This record gives sequence, structure tokens and C-alpha cells, in this order.
Amino acid sequence: MRTVLCFGDSNTHGQVPGGTPLDRYGWTQRWPGVLARELGSKWHVLEEGLSGRTTVRDDPIEGVHKNGRRYLRPCLQSHAPLDLIIIMLGTNDLKARFQQPPSEVAMGIGCLVYDIKELAPGPGGHVPEIMIVAPPPMRDDIKEWESIFSGAQQKSHRLALEFEILADSLEVHFFDAGSVIQCDPLDGFHINAEAHAALGVALASEVVTIGWSDHA
Amino acid sequence: MPDMRFAPPNPLRIADRAAGLNATSVRSYNERLLLSLLLQNDGITRLEIGESTGLSAQTVSVLVRSLEQEGLVMKGKVQKGRVGPPTTPVVLNPEGAYSVGISIGSKRAHIVLIDFVGAVRFHATLPNPEPNSKSNHPEFLETIQRALEVLPPGTQDRLAGIGLALPESRSGLTAGKSDPKHRYAALQEEIEKEIGQAVFVQNDITAAAAGESMFGSAKPHADYLYFYLGHELHSRLVLNHQIYNSNSPLSFDIGLGALERLAGGKGLPTEPLWDRADLLLTWENDLIASMRSSITALAQFVEVRTVILSSYIPEDVCQALCAKLGTVLPGVTVIAGKLSPSPKAVGAAGLPFSSRFMVE
Repeated sequence: MRTVLCFGDSNTHGQVPGGTPLDRYGWTQRWPGVLARELGSKWHVLEEGLSGRTTVRDDPIEGVHKNGRRYLRPCLQSHAPLDLIIIMLGTNDLKARFQQPPSEVAMGIGCLVYDIKELAPGPGGHVPEIMIVAPPPMRDDIKEWESIFSGAQQKSHRLALEFEILADSLEVHFFDAGSVIQCDPLDGFHINAEAHAALGVALASEVVTIGWSDHA
Repeated sequence: MPDMRFAPPNPLRIADRAAGLNATSVRSYNERLLLSLLLQNDGITRLEIGESTGLSAQTVSVLVRSLEQEGLVMKGKVQKGRVGPPTTPVVLNPEGAYSVGISIGSKRAHIVLIDFVGAVRFHATLPNPEPNSKSNHPEFLETIQRALEVLPPGTQDRLAGIGLALPESRSGLTAGKSDPKHRYAALQEEIEKEIGQAVFVQNDITAAAAGESMFGSAKPHADYLYFYLGHELHSRLVLNHQIYNSNSPLSFDIGLGALERLAGGKGLPTEPLWDRADLLLTWENDLIASMRSSITALAQFVEVRTVILSSYIPEDVCQALCAKLGTVLPGVTVIAGKLSPSPKAVGAAGLPFSSRFMVE
């Protein structure tokens, strides 16, 4: 049995586009659920998606618990041993309140990668496989969220390149979600059920292509 | 001590994001290791790459993405797994790199352009070039130029170079009045100067054997005895993908030259040779006896289980020879080469690939 942890924000939590944090897709619709179905019985898929989660930033409005870095360590220790950790974050770091360029968001992802490597929550205390997933770019029209994310739309298009450079540099796996899915026009930055399904299938293929020996 | 975690990502380890091939100087050892595996296998999973190189899954992932970006490799045909979702192997992109191969034979020169998986995109034969002004030397250079024009537009920078296969024993060549050895040494410089591409030179028989190993029948085999049937009969021993005594000048005068003499002696035309069954039988028996005695002699030292016979002769004639040799050698598999009609030139074209993309 292998274990994969999906560490993300509202788009991992399965928040319905145009809805509130209370509107959530069901387990079989959310991408971690699709991933579980595709990978089959040899994999245990854990989902850790929190609306508003940032990479490393304390949110002065929503609260410090939205800081992904604070939660990552206890989360990893709770679920260890982990064979693979998929991180899909970054969109919330682009909120106007943080005033961050895309490169700084990538640096935040880098911190999480270093924390995982330091903690080594893989089997036998080894470093697990790590896959950085760049979130799909935001649409230009983000409805009533415009003031909160002012200027984020343009930056969101540059996350994939910054994340890939970082993944190359830190030698971890990388996948650009924008290559298979788009955000829903209802709010411009959440993904709908169709996108969850496509992302789950695409990530399952990425996970398998990493290559896992049959023993273990 | 500075904390490297907070330094900017190191750009040196990242593939050049501009289109086209990276400069040779930045081709890392690990990239060469991976490309060597791909040139030796038809598609391979990332798990297999990790197992045979000892590189971590994450390092392999970065390497594959960088080579994909460069257009040298691509995702192969999806393989259905026994359980779970299908896995995608890594394969060479046929259009990732091209190479020109030139072989100078006993009478004729062959010029080919091949793609990254060895498919021949251009093929021409012409009499050997000679240096004097009345010869076909300009035509020879023009033919190389024509081969380069076959490259799809905008892919000129994907040419890995030019490989030149030259015979070791150059005494019997009809290569003009000047000293042939000197003549062929000059050929490399002339092509480099006129065409403006790096020219890699190798012994012709070794080039043909390497070509069968990289693109042809020998691909799945690590150990075999290689025969090249040209004007004479040549051989190379290949163990664990390594070609031994690669500059050996030794050959047996029972090749096509002997067949031609046989025909000439009876006052028969030398072309076409292949429909003279009576003539062929005598020659074939001599040839097979010679190959058999080589194999028997070698068996004292190594067990030969696979024999590859490569030639420019018609494929059916080569297949028939293989079948005949197989019947007199129980336990040995005899396979015809696949690089017909120009094994030496295709092998020569493999040289720039091995120099630029493979580990030593």
C-alpha cells in the first residue's frame, strides 16, 4: 500500500465555483477522490485542502492557520509514512494584502519542499517523492473577488514557469494544472466538477509515470 | 554560513528555455546517460531509467522534462498497466535531431540523412570523389548539401553533425592517383570547410556494426558476432555493447569481389549477379564455410549465440544467406542487418549522435 498526501487550498477542498466555503463537491467528484479511483486499491489518498491556504504567509485577515507552512509539519507527522506529497498552492498568496510577485510565491513553495525534505516523512525516514502542481491561471473576470485579488490575475499566469524553475532547481516532480484544466467563469478562480475529474485523471497518470517498484 | 534555502533557484540546472538544441557544452553527464539509454532501447519507463542509472525518481523527472522542453524526447505510446492507470514511457523524438552519414566504399560513396531514431530521410550513391578538377568532387559536396536541404524548415540547428566512415585498408580502392590514405584524411577537412559542420570519422566496419546496434537488428542484443559482407568479408566482435578491435584491417577475400571474379572468369556480366543461381551456389558455400570457421574458432574463447550479417546486397539474398548459415550452426541465431542498402553510411550518421548525446 502506498500513500499520497494532497496538500492544497479550496481547489483541493473542492469548493464549488461561485459558492461559499460551505459548498463542497462530494468525495468522488473532488480531484483527490478521482485520483484515488484512478490509482486503485494499492494507493491510499489523503486530502488536505483548506480554503484560503497560502504557502508560507500568515493571513492577517483570515488568520494564521491559513499559513500552509505552520500546518504542514503536524500534517506530515500525522500521516507519515508518506510515499508522495502533491502540493497545489499559490493562488491565495496572490491576494492584494500580501503584495507578492510570482517569484516570491515560488519561494514559498520552495520553503515547503525544504520542510518536507528536512522532516523526511517517507518510508524508513527517507525523503518522499514531492510533486509541485502549478494551479490553473485565474480568469480576468473574478466577479466580487476583484478587490481582494486585485492584480493577481496577471501574476497567476506566471506561476507555472516560476514553479517549474523551482522544481528543476530543487529536483522535485512538477505538473502544470493549466495544461489540462481552466478555472470556472462563475468566479474565475475555482475549478468545477469537470475540471476536478480531468485533473484527477491527469495527476494519476503523472503519479504512475514516476515509476514505483512493485515491492514495498 | 549562508542558508542556501533562501538563495534564488539555481538557473544552471535548468534547461535552456529557448527553442532549439542546447549547446554541447552544457549537456550534462546525466542527460547523456539518459539519452544513451534511449538510443539503446525503444522507449523506456522512468522507473526503468531510475533502475539502470541509479538516479532518483525526482532527478529523472527533472531530466526528462528538460529534454522534453528541448524537443529531444517525448511521451511515448501509453502502456496499459495490469492494475491501475496506464503508464507513459519516454521515447526519443524522431525530429529531435538529425545527422548526415557518408561512407566511402571500394567504388562508391553513400550519403544519407537520418533522423533521431535512424529513419533514412535522404539517400544517394555516387562514385567515390577524387580531388582533381575533372572528378565528381563538386557533385559529392553538392549531394551532402542536398541531404541537408531535406531538413524540415527551421530545424537546421537540429543537425548533430556529419559522420564519415572510412575503410581501414585503403590500398585496393579506386580512389585516384594520389596516396589514398592522405586523400581520405583530407576529406574530413574539406567537408568541414565546405559544409560548415563538424565531421566525425570512424572505421567503416565499426560504424556499420554500431549502426546495427543503435538503429538496426542488433538493438536488443548486447553480445554478438557481426559480419559485414562488402567487397570482402569483415567481422567485429561485440560484447556488452562494446565493439572489440574496432580498427581491425583483417578481412577475407570471399566477398562480393570474389563473386565478381567468379563471374568474370566465366566471361559472364557482373551485373546483375543475383539471378545466376549456379554461380551463387559455389560462392555462397565458400562464404558460409568461411563464416562458420570464424565462429568455430571464436567459440574457443566466447560463446557466440547471435550472429548479425549486414550488407548492401538485396535483402532477400541476405536473408537467404542468414538462413543457410543458421542451418550449419545449430544453437546460433543468425539475423540479417536492417540498415540495407547503406549500413556503413547509416552507421556513420550515428556517430555524431553518440559523440554529442551519449556517454563514453
